[in-house]
Amino acid sequence: MMTKRKLREGAGLTALNLFFIALCFLTLIPILYALSVSFNGSNSLLSSDFSFIPKNFTLKNYREVLFGENITVWFRNTIFLAIVTVFLSLLVAVPAAYCFSRRRFPGRKAILRCLVLLNSFPAILSMFAIYRLLRPMGLVNTRLGLILVYTGTMAVFSLWNTKGYFDTIPTEIEEAARIDGATDTQIVLKIVMPLAKPSIVTTALQVLIYVWNEYIYATTFLTGESKYTLAAGLNALQATEMTGSWPVFAAAAITVSLPVLVIFFLCQKYMTSGLTAGGVKG
Amino acid sequence: MEKKKRREWIRSYVWSAPSLLLIGLMVVFPILYTFYISLTNMNVYHWFDFTLVGLDNYIRALFVFDSGFLSALLATILWTAVSMALQLVIAFVLANLLNIQKLRLRKLYKTILMFPWAMPGYVGILLWKTGMFNTQFGLLNQWLERLGFAAVRWLSSDVSAFLCCTVVNLWLALPFMIMIMDGALQSIDRSYYESATLDGAGAFARAKYITIPAMRPIIAPAVIITVFTTFKQFDVVYLLTQQAGAKTGSGFHTILTYAYENAFITNNYGYSSAISMIIFALLLLFSAKFQLREDA
Repeated sequence: MMTKRKLREGAGLTALNLFFIALCFLTLIPILYALSVSFNGSNSLLSSDFSFIPKNFTLKNYREVLFGENITVWFRNTIFLAIVTVFLSLLVAVPAAYCFSRRRFPGRKAILRCLVLLNSFPAILSMFAIYRLLRPMGLVNTRLGLILVYTGTMAVFSLWNTKGYFDTIPTEIEEAARIDGATDTQIVLKIVMPLAKPSIVTTALQVLIYVWNEYIYATTFLTGESKYTLAAGLNALQATEMTGSWPVFAAAAITVSLPVLVIFFLCQKYMTSGLTAGGVKG
Repeated sequence: MEKKKRREWIRSYVWSAPSLLLIGLMVVFPILYTFYISLTNMNVYHWFDFTLVGLDNYIRALFVFDSGFLSALLATILWTAVSMALQLVIAFVLANLLNIQKLRLRKLYKTILMFPWAMPGYVGILLWKTGMFNTQFGLLNQWLERLGFAAVRWLSSDVSAFLCCTVVNLWLALPFMIMIMDGALQSIDRSYYESATLDGAGAFARAKYITIPAMRPIIAPAVIITVFTTFKQFDVVYLLTQQAGAKTGSGFHTILTYAYENAFITNNYGYSSAISMIIFALLLLFSAKFQLREDA
């Protein structure tokens, strides 16, 4: 009796494991295919004897990605944009978030409510208006223009996310510091910032990933491939000359994804809490 | 005391000013400007000498069925409903399976299933486009051909493009939903199930009377966020079918790709802005409704 039940349980568990192995494989197919293509030397894409293990293993495509002229330029552009945008975002968001979390002043509630509403506006919808506003100022097709767009788009999120975390930090320590004669700036820099490190890191990472992944503003506002970011460049790579460069594109796609994957899995806990806490709750 | 309070106020305003100014300039002002453009006949021919045309653009969008906005809106509603229904059901089943107690490799499976979410979204979409759906070297057609069928142009007709977009969207969105549901499941007290089993409740009854009611409040915010992101989906549809220079011939639009096309492909700036404002109004209405429900 007992063994029979155990047997059945074992069979069920095996079936379950097989199901999940199949599901994981199914999920990874597009990625595995790209991996295989990116390492594949012979141009056997059109032949029908495809396999997930490349037959003529090569690093040629990755060499082209890492040392090819275009992609290194795009990489440098992206890093520059990302660093400046993250820095500016935090610079404006942290003091504002501190005030909205700790102080009470007329208009505070109204502004917070407006920010929630603004959050539901997709940035793509005002892209044309922004384009038209930036063009006379000569900011279209410049890095400064994109930095303004990116910091502006992420400003609501940055403010909201850091404010939300500040709210959870008890105020007693700050009050004690104030009694000891610390100024506001000292309190923010020496007490609140260190305590709020997780939220500041998440905010910075989210902004970083946003800039890293943003392609639509970049392709619309920038002309000339030398100014492109990685996302814009990759997008152009597959849209225009796809057939010829699919192996290179696959290698570039894998390379671009790697840092994001690493960040995601290292900071999974933070990322997900930020997503759920910062969202809808007023 | 009054004076001190006022000084504090001023300091708060000064500290918040850079952030609020940035939001004002880059978010609020463009929205207002979009509204202004929506009242004009601005397009490529009227770049400078546009005139105010009142609500014409709104009337064209809302009352002229041929304009395409209403059908895009209907398609978007259908798209959201189908995606959400599939996501909720599949994620519920998978999360429950992942929580079967004797499953040892649960952590490994979860990590692998998170991959589509962890990658840059546009990369995932483009990999599907070239790796899976491409007519020549896409895997789907390679497999079909090996089985002796003719190649299919996956993205070229409305219905099949809709289905392909739905599949890719599921691929992208399921990890988040599974994670949320998994977290919710783990917060349910095991003892409920034990006593229910003792009372003779089957798996279906346990799901209906314990699991679902207990999960609902926990997953509600995440589900609402997902409804919004699905409704506002742009990347999947744009990158798979509408990309400038690589249009596949499918006419499936979400309202966002429709607004984009009218602004940057056919250059009807006034009309596209009117659509943007309508979408904004719809989103505001939804979010106001959900907020009210949450407060209550």
